Amino acid sequence: MSAESRTDAELLELIAGGDRNAFEELHRRYARSVLGIALRRLGDRGRAEDVTQDTFASVWRSASRYDPERGQAASWLYTVARNAIVDGLRRRPPPTVANPPDVAAGDPGPAEEAETEWVSWRVHRAVESLPDHERSLVELAYWSGLSQSEIAEYVGLPLGTVKTRTRAALRRLADELEGELR
Amino acid sequence: MSDLREIVGDDLEPGELERLERVHALLERAGPPPELSPAMAVAPEPPTARIVPFPRRYRYTAFAAAAVAALALFGLGYVVGGGGGPDPLQTVAMSGPGPASAQLDLFEKDAAGNWPMELRVSGLPAGTYELWLTRDGKLAEPCGSFAVADGETRVPLNAPYKLRSFDGWVVVPSGNREPVLTT
Repeated sequence: MSAESRTDAELLELIAGGDRNAFEELHRRYARSVLGIALRRLGDRGRAEDVTQDTFASVWRSASRYDPERGQAASWLYTVARNAIVDGLRRRPPPTVANPPDVAAGDPGPAEEAETEWVSWRVHRAVESLPDHERSLVELAYWSGLSQSEIAEYVGLPLGTVKTRTRAALRRLADELEGELR
Repeated sequence: MSDLREIVGDDLEPGELERLERVHALLERAGPPPELSPAMAVAPEPPTARIVPFPRRYRYTAFAAAAVAALALFGLGYVVGGGGGPDPLQTVAMSGPGPASAQLDLFEKDAAGNWPMELRVSGLPAGTYELWLTRDGKLAEPCGSFAVADGETRVPLNAPYKLRSFDGWVVVPSGNREPVLTT
């Protein structure tokens, strides 16, 4: 069985045995999600990239500690990533601002930020798991600023096909994100 | 916020519309993931083990303590075992393309999951070698390295792994992945 068709939990088991292909596949699935939360927390691309590399180094070293009975692989990886971010912050704290800007009363608190971070993690991972032809349409529809007509022209498909495929992708995402939808 | 019906069409059943609206809201809330730079698009090299040396002032103390502990354990084992070694649970024969051969005795696993082993090897050119566990014909986990001189070499080794998840053993020259002995 190829690494692409394995579940995240199976990949972690293989990584624990030193399987490089499984490691590369897990990196393909999660690198953008890890970089996303690192950027959100650290606000600096270079540091976020360092933390992303540290996260995958930790995954390689500690994959054998993942126990499928104690939770989903995505949750375990999220914890590893957050620990790497905290370590990164300890090593290089953000610069102190002499006069910190006023914080607007409407800004999200830590709990809300953590919730948003987890949702982003799950959503990005779910989008990453879509078939290529659906993933690209979802990314274009939500994150490119193009209208569906412009997307149809861009990808060279009839508008109806673009909408049908995007709808199929959203159904798949709804299945994948069942927990977040409740 | 964009309109879901503009994205997927407006011929949705009410139940499905509600479900897809929630996904739609999550996608909007999550925002785009960052793009990976070319350097980040490939998985990093898996880290290798880091050796942390003893501080110089403790080194001799550590060596002395290790020697005393080894002697004490040997003495204890000798007394408890009645002077003879334990019987192996399993003996694995290994051979190579040439006259070299080896016998790997596997002893009872300890409480922590270590499988003590003794490797007896003969016929290999003098040099340094490594014993590896294999999976699907590929090197999977190392079980230690050893040096070979003339004649037979006996060396204790250890496999701290679940052996069921592997399918064989090989001996390779250090720094080389081509086996010279296989099961």
